[in-house]
Amino acid sequence: MSNRGNSSGSGSNSNISSSNRPEWLQQYDLIGKIGEGTYGLVFLAKIKSNRSKSIAIKKFKQSKDGDGVSPTAIREIMLLREISHDNVVKLVNVHINHIDMSLYLAFDYAEHDLYEIIRHHRDKVNQAINQYTVKSILWQLLNGLNYLHSNWIMHRDLKPSNILVMGDGEEQGVVKIADFGLARIYQAPLKPLFDNGVVVTIWYRAPELLLGGKHYTSAVDMWAVGCIFAELLTLKPLFQGQEVKATPNPFQLDQLDKIFKVLGHPTVEKWPTLAHLPHWQTDQQHIQGHKYDSPGLYSVVHLSPKNPAYDLLSKMLEYDPRKRITAAQALEHEYFRMEPLPGRNALVPPQPGEKIVNYPTRPVDTNTDFEGTTSLQPAQQASGNVSGGMGPHVMPTRNVPRPMHMVGMQRMQQQSMAAYNLASQAINPANIPMQRGVAAQPHQQQQQQQLRRKDGMGMPGYPQQKSRRF
Amino acid sequence: MDPDTRFSLPSLLCEEDESSLQETKLVSSPKSEDDLYIRSLIETESKSNDYGCVCVCDDDNSRNWLKCARLDAVNWIFSTREILGFQFRTAYLCLTYFDRFISRRFIDNGKDWAIQLLCIACLSLAAKMEELMVPSLSHYKAQGYNFESSVIQRMELMVLTTLEWKMSCITPFSYLHHFLPKINDERDYDGFLVSKAIDLILDFSKDVNSMDHRPSVVAIASVLLACDDQLTRNTMEFKIGVLSSFYSLEKEHIHSCYNLLKEIQTKKNNTPCSISLTTHWSPSSTVKRKLRFEQSCPLQKISRRL
Repeated sequence: MSNRGNSSGSGSNSNISSSNRPEWLQQYDLIGKIGEGTYGLVFLAKIKSNRSKSIAIKKFKQSKDGDGVSPTAIREIMLLREISHDNVVKLVNVHINHIDMSLYLAFDYAEHDLYEIIRHHRDKVNQAINQYTVKSILWQLLNGLNYLHSNWIMHRDLKPSNILVMGDGEEQGVVKIADFGLARIYQAPLKPLFDNGVVVTIWYRAPELLLGGKHYTSAVDMWAVGCIFAELLTLKPLFQGQEVKATPNPFQLDQLDKIFKVLGHPTVEKWPTLAHLPHWQTDQQHIQGHKYDSPGLYSVVHLSPKNPAYDLLSKMLEYDPRKRITAAQALEHEYFRMEPLPGRNALVPPQPGEKIVNYPTRPVDTNTDFEGTTSLQPAQQASGNVSGGMGPHVMPTRNVPRPMHMVGMQRMQQQSMAAYNLASQAINPANIPMQRGVAAQPHQQQQQQQLRRKDGMGMPGYPQQKSRRF
Repeated sequence: MDPDTRFSLPSLLCEEDESSLQETKLVSSPKSEDDLYIRSLIETESKSNDYGCVCVCDDDNSRNWLKCARLDAVNWIFSTREILGFQFRTAYLCLTYFDRFISRRFIDNGKDWAIQLLCIACLSLAAKMEELMVPSLSHYKAQGYNFESSVIQRMELMVLTTLEWKMSCITPFSYLHHFLPKINDERDYDGFLVSKAIDLILDFSKDVNSMDHRPSVVAIASVLLACDDQLTRNTMEFKIGVLSSFYSLEKEHIHSCYNLLKEIQTKKNNTPCSISLTTHWSPSSTVKRKLRFEQSCPLQKISRRL
């Protein structure tokens, strides 16, 4: 077997120890670990050639021995390679460490995420997020989601920690949807969320999923957006249920209870398909027997029922997924047409005199090396009171792992595509000496390169429609 | 599919129960949404330069070797699919990976192990994309070689990077359930026509490289043939008239694909199965395989120049 390309191989049996890193790793200066999740670790790095560029590098955990490349990694990379939108996290590179076959994804780095922004307002400044910021964040989130849905992609795991916001720089205040580990393309087989072996928080989970619905739609993402919208307004999770961890199919009664208490009891009249949902049928006593005195959503979010913000929120939290507002419809809502109008820099209101909140930068754990091993360097904290690491243990309110994607200010498409090619050169599957290609004629090489170049630039063949008719 | 979701507002409807994965079951989906999706797939196909491209081997020896190697690969993929209980669409997806890999990288004559390793990696990747339950790599048995999991994983990575991580390829299976009810007015209650169309597609894929024809064309031609094997150019155009203008399908291609499918069927029916189904490294056989190019290729008329 031989290569058709002509670039030199990378990572050819070089050592991965910190003193002698593979070639791809040498282009980065590792700053430290910034996150940890079910799928692996996230590091902050700078590009050596341009120290102003920050990159978040996500290292996938090695899959179980004998399972090969992890399906989650394949799906995430496959999806991220094909999508390109201002409000979606930007994958700039995929690196393969050929020694242990681990995968590293390099993203533009984003300094903030909604989890931290909300926490900062709640615990530090003790003040609501200003209207302009809430509206701008929501608009951009919907804009990114509309793009994904138009391209037949469901995110399925939207929550504040997966919604990133860019820090200082050209893209300051731009919202980026991140973490596509659970995202799906239309028609792809769906594993039930609960046996993906993944921690998925239930607070943002749509009622049709909680009731065991097997046919679910992009409307599940809109429910999550509704929950996030409410949380931006009140600084508290809207439906903070206690998670049941039992397997294989935990029935999240407490989460449903929290929802019903605010939105009232769902009825078959208003939501006809409710009668067919598994848990609705089997848990009649629990769910249907209960009587809820609904205090009303407006009193929980402190909005007048006449307020357009309330109108939009209640349409996102519509029980019947078929009646729930779509991302495209939401973007057209009156809320976004009234002052203050949403803007590109969600963090800095255009009106002079508005107070600008300085959000803390992400804490960096400089003790952990790329391999996840702890080195002897002294710890440095960029800010905040986090002492060592960013695991869930230091953040008691977070019941989910740290977000896995960070975004920076950078665009390096060309470079990234070059690296894909590079990465494909160096594998020798059986470690058997392989002959170089006898038949790699020049014109073929040229053809191949043209093909690649085309692929890299425009991602041909991907549905590019801006918005699907809903 | 739940009857109540049939008239749902457009949204990305997915199913996660296993019954939906039985390919013989005819599902009716929300019309507008599915139509839009099918249209976007066809648009994707037409923008792609994957189809109808020319294979790069030009000496006869390599071509013959590769032709035979591919046929053996297809046989191994199909029988392993059966052993591991995968869907047909998984096997077909695997074959598209295989064909795309071969079109981009060269495998030296006689490097039998490389073809086998490639098959395993492609099938494992296809299963990860399509199947709910994915077996560990040790379940993939190659004939005559024992590949360690780490070797297979390395090959998986090589396939992923060679295909530039574009693993969600369109196959005829993406269209089958959509086209059938549009071509055949009566409902296919026992799934007979779907099974027949699937058989046609699989036979076709043994002979014809998956990159030669657009998947939508193969799907519609196989559905047409499954419904009626006596179609003339005119009667066929009448049958697909509405469909083809709706999706801007090329009638000419459908017609020639229909004839090619028919030709393959005729040949299959006239060939004793002992020859046509010869496989040299079936997973169940234990004899170490020796490639003999001269005798090992019963299916001579291969439309694609491999």
